Amino acid sequence: MTTPIDRRRFLRGAAAGLGAVTLNQFLTACSASETRTPPPTSAVQPAQPTSIPVTASQPAAPLATQVPSPVQPTATPATSPDLVVARSGEPEAMVRRAIAALGGMERFVPRDANVIVKPNICVAYHTYEYAATTNPWVVGALVKLCLEAGARSVRVMDNPFGGSAEEAYEVSGIAEQVKAAGGEMVVMSRMKFMPTDIPHAVMLTQAAIYDDILKADVVIDVPIAKDHSLARLTLGMKNLMGVVREREVIHNRMGQNLADLAGYIRPKLTVIDAVRMLMANGPTGGDLNDVKEMNTIVASPDIVAADSYAATLFGRQPEDLTYITAGVAAGLGRSDLNNLRIEEINVGA
Amino acid sequence: MSARRSFRRWITARKIIQITTLLIVIALLIMTRRGGWPPDVVNLIMRLDPLAVLAQAISSRSFLLGSTAVLLTVLLTVIAGRAWCGWLCPLGTVLDLIPLRKRTLRDKQPNVPHSWRSIKYGLLILILVAALFGNLTLLIFDPLTIFIRTFTIALWPATDQVVTSIETAMYRVPFLSDPISSIDAWLRPTILPSQPEYYRDAWLFGAVFIGIIALNLIAPRFWCRYLCPLGGLLGWISRGALLRREVSEECKGCTLCTTVCPTGTIEANKRYASDPAECTMCLECLDVCPRSTIEFQPRLKLSPRQAYDPSRRQFLGAAAFAIGGVALFRADAVRQHADDHLIRPPGVIEDAMLDKCIRCGECVRSCPTHGLQPAFNQAGLEGLWTPVLIPRLGYCAYSCNSCGQVCPVQAIPSLSLADKRTQVIGKAYIDQNRCIAWADQRDCIVCEEMCPLPEKAVYLEKRDFMQSDKSTVTVQVPHVDRNKCIGCGICEFKCPVNGNAAIRVYVPGTQAAF
Repeated sequence: MTTPIDRRRFLRGAAAGLGAVTLNQFLTACSASETRTPPPTSAVQPAQPTSIPVTASQPAAPLATQVPSPVQPTATPATSPDLVVARSGEPEAMVRRAIAALGGMERFVPRDANVIVKPNICVAYHTYEYAATTNPWVVGALVKLCLEAGARSVRVMDNPFGGSAEEAYEVSGIAEQVKAAGGEMVVMSRMKFMPTDIPHAVMLTQAAIYDDILKADVVIDVPIAKDHSLARLTLGMKNLMGVVREREVIHNRMGQNLADLAGYIRPKLTVIDAVRMLMANGPTGGDLNDVKEMNTIVASPDIVAADSYAATLFGRQPEDLTYITAGVAAGLGRSDLNNLRIEEINVGA
Repeated sequence: MSARRSFRRWITARKIIQITTLLIVIALLIMTRRGGWPPDVVNLIMRLDPLAVLAQAISSRSFLLGSTAVLLTVLLTVIAGRAWCGWLCPLGTVLDLIPLRKRTLRDKQPNVPHSWRSIKYGLLILILVAALFGNLTLLIFDPLTIFIRTFTIALWPATDQVVTSIETAMYRVPFLSDPISSIDAWLRPTILPSQPEYYRDAWLFGAVFIGIIALNLIAPRFWCRYLCPLGGLLGWISRGALLRREVSEECKGCTLCTTVCPTGTIEANKRYASDPAECTMCLECLDVCPRSTIEFQPRLKLSPRQAYDPSRRQFLGAAAFAIGGVALFRADAVRQHADDHLIRPPGVIEDAMLDKCIRCGECVRSCPTHGLQPAFNQAGLEGLWTPVLIPRLGYCAYSCNSCGQVCPVQAIPSLSLADKRTQVIGKAYIDQNRCIAWADQRDCIVCEEMCPLPEKAVYLEKRDFMQSDKSTVTVQVPHVDRNKCIGCGICEFKCPVNGNAAIRVYVPGTQAAF
């Protein structure tokens, strides 16, 4: 009879096992010591004179020499508005009209681009009516627009904190709309959170950021507008927290942390879903009495401007939100709504 | 008839069935998760276990319709004796796959006295008598509960750790990151979990299992021969089994069959007869016999009593031991005051839990956050390895009612999601001496943010704190609304404080009149 396992086979197996462990240790050590070269290519855009924000106009600041000019992620062509507000229509129609007014999705999504759409799918508890998660048709419309613009792949992902991702994707209704639109719903994988140095950050100098987000050609941020007791409101900049692994640490001095993160990720387009807004008991929701039907979509390449405008929908001023003031200070965008070119579209009319 | 007949094919068939069954059981366990296969399918394993079903029926004084599946196993045993052990049992298959002892034709049967075979009957009597008094603790020795528990708590989390570290290492190699990414997307969350699973004392469950395998060093299938209480029960039924092993007059006593028998029940000094209560119908003896003198024939008779079958005295002794044990469990202090952190799954009534739970661990496996863990001392020794929620390791997800769906014996009631959301399983209390807002006077609000209730049970108050330099800071401090909190524990799970959370869930309820 043959012996089930002989010494040679045992040693071979053990060596393979030890090798794997050693390799892992070694590679982990390597990846920890090498700093990622920032920032991702997608974020760097040539500066346009029209859009240089306040801070960048001070060449004396020592930072300015190192910082890749803190411009808006996508430069605004002279004819396009800075921000578009679409009102009172079906979600998809509002998104389409808003993006068209901004110059069409082709402006943001190059042919064959690898796009990630980042909605807010924070929990698996309720359907979209409860306004804890982004409106599925808004997400679906963005996926369609990206594909129509010739994107190679459109992936949709978030990292829910309550319940599992698969379940949250289904319950929110987003999975269904994304699949119908031809996009891909992806569960985030824990091996892909890469410890990343964030250059020029004031607070958040290091974070484990999701690799696909860093590698994507285009990131589109599509938050739902809702109440939050610390940030006061969850909007575009707050929605980016989902791409960081240890997000609890962001809570301390949240405003600055969010500005640091947004400055690194730089979504090319922010579309704020204010179709149904959660006015209280956010971010998780669960009570329809807390939901206000606003039937509004706010879209802008400037994440700070989009958040600033959305704040006013809640009767707040942009300055009320610490991440907006931090974002303006970091030169990520503008909150001076009175000086922005804002185009308002009444879709229903 | 001197021509030697080959039974290789039968043995190959047995091995195929063994491996297939093992793989099916593992597949069922992998799919015992939210979003996996239907609960009534995945928990079929336990409903086929006569020991668990019988003990549970005695203990809870009720028979569940779903447990009728057990008649299949009983029928199999009435026809073919302990074929369950030799052909189906996943633990038995693992023990066959890892024999540890080289079996050669010159090998003698090990030097373990036959009397040890009575240990399994002793264990069986203990389990059944204790069940009569509403106790099921010793079902931890049921082979299926051992297998499921080990898989859930030790084997699968460890496998996941290994795969994750390999994946993570390879993902960082530039040209491998894309293929690894595709493999990972295929693997998770379908087969492996997307989040790592952590269990308290995972090593202990692994060690017990390794210990059971290591007993193979003493004798092949040591566990099945001497210890397995389910084997004992099936052995009793097998004494009247239809198919019997018969040795013809042509046997010349070459002793080959005694050396290959994995349970060592073929004895030369009994004319190579065997005990049907020990034979696992593996058919190895049929194949090895050079003169083909062995046959399995239908017979209608009870097999003779063996020396190791429990005597009346041993039976009474075991029964007395069981009664004494149950009595001592009942005298334990945990019966007077429950442990602070005895957080049971939603809808559980403590006493009903103890006399229904068969310790199979299906609920633990199905819990998507892995907060449900086998209790070690929260419910006393009597409640060993019953499910308990450890919120620091995982919360009771507001979107989930899996545990009650998958429980094969309704120790955890099957509740609709709406009903489950109203079950109060505990109450959260804030430790103001450790809370970031209260003690460090910094904004945090994580517990409030995480609270899943439509009207949050954690609410915030703006409070001014005087600093050492007499200035004041305003901080949002959390409070718990005791009337709203359901004790799901997501606040404790997510609390950013290291070590014990600054908000913890305690056993619900207060004494009467408060």
